[in-house]
Amino acid sequence: MSTVRQYELIYILPPETTEEAVAELQTQVEAITQRFSATIEKTENWGRRKLAYEIGGNREGVYVLHVINGPAEMTAELDRRLRVFDLVIRHMVVRVDEELAVAERSRVRRKSAMTARRVRRGLPPEPTEQERSRRQEDDDDLDGPEMGFRERGDR
Amino acid sequence: MSEFESRGRGGRSGDKDKKDDKGGRRTFFRRRRMCKFCVEKIDYIGYKDVKLLAPFIPERGKIQPRRISGVCATHQRALQTAIKRARQIALVPYTTD
Repeated sequence: MSTVRQYELIYILPPETTEEAVAELQTQVEAITQRFSATIEKTENWGRRKLAYEIGGNREGVYVLHVINGPAEMTAELDRRLRVFDLVIRHMVVRVDEELAVAERSRVRRKSAMTARRVRRGLPPEPTEQERSRRQEDDDDLDGPEMGFRERGDR
Repeated sequence: MSEFESRGRGGRSGDKDKKDDKGGRRTFFRRRRMCKFCVEKIDYIGYKDVKLLAPFIPERGKIQPRRISGVCATHQRALQTAIKRARQIALVPYTTD
C-alpha cells in the first residue's frame, strides 16, 4: 500500500448554501476518502467569511476544512471530483505532514538546546515560574532606554 | 572655486569634521530589524492564519520584501508559500487597487 500522508482539504461554497447541502458534500468527501481507506482527522466549518476577492460573483463564502490522513492517489481523486461539483467555488489540497514535522523538529531542538544550556549553568532544566515573571520585567526595562535612544537619533 | 576644491579634498583625504558630520546625517539611527518569527519562536507559518500573514502584506497586496520587514531567509521562504496558498483560497488578496 502506498504511504499515508496528511493533507488539508479546504473548499469554499457560496454564502447562500444551506446547512444540509454542506453536510451532504461532507458525506460525499467522506465517501471518497473511505474508498482509499483514508481517515478524516478533523473537520472544521468556518462558516461565512468575506472573500479577499470576488469569485464567480461571490463576495462571501462558506469555508470548510478537512484534515485527512490518506494516500497520494486520494488527493488526485478529491481534486477531480471537487472540480466537477458546481457547488464548490474554490478548493485546495495541501500536504501538511512534512511542514508540521519540520516545525515540530525545530521546536524540540530548541527545547533540548535550552535544557542543555541550563544544565551547563547548573540550573534546573525547566525555567521556574519565578524566572519567567522576572524575564517579563527585564523586557519592560529594556524598552525604556531604547525608546530614549531612538528619540535622540530622530532629532 | 576655492570652496569647491577644499570640499573635493575633504572628501578624499578625510577632513575630520566634515566627514563626521556627513556620517552622522547619513547613518540614521535605524534599529536593526529582527526576524519576527525567530524572535517570537514561531515554527509553523500556516496559510490559514491570516492574522499572522497580514503584517507582511502591504496595502497593495504584494508580499513585503525581506529588506523591509527584516524577516530571515528561512522564514521569508515559508511566509512566501503561506501567502501564496492563502491567496488561492481567497483569504488574502492577490492585488488591491
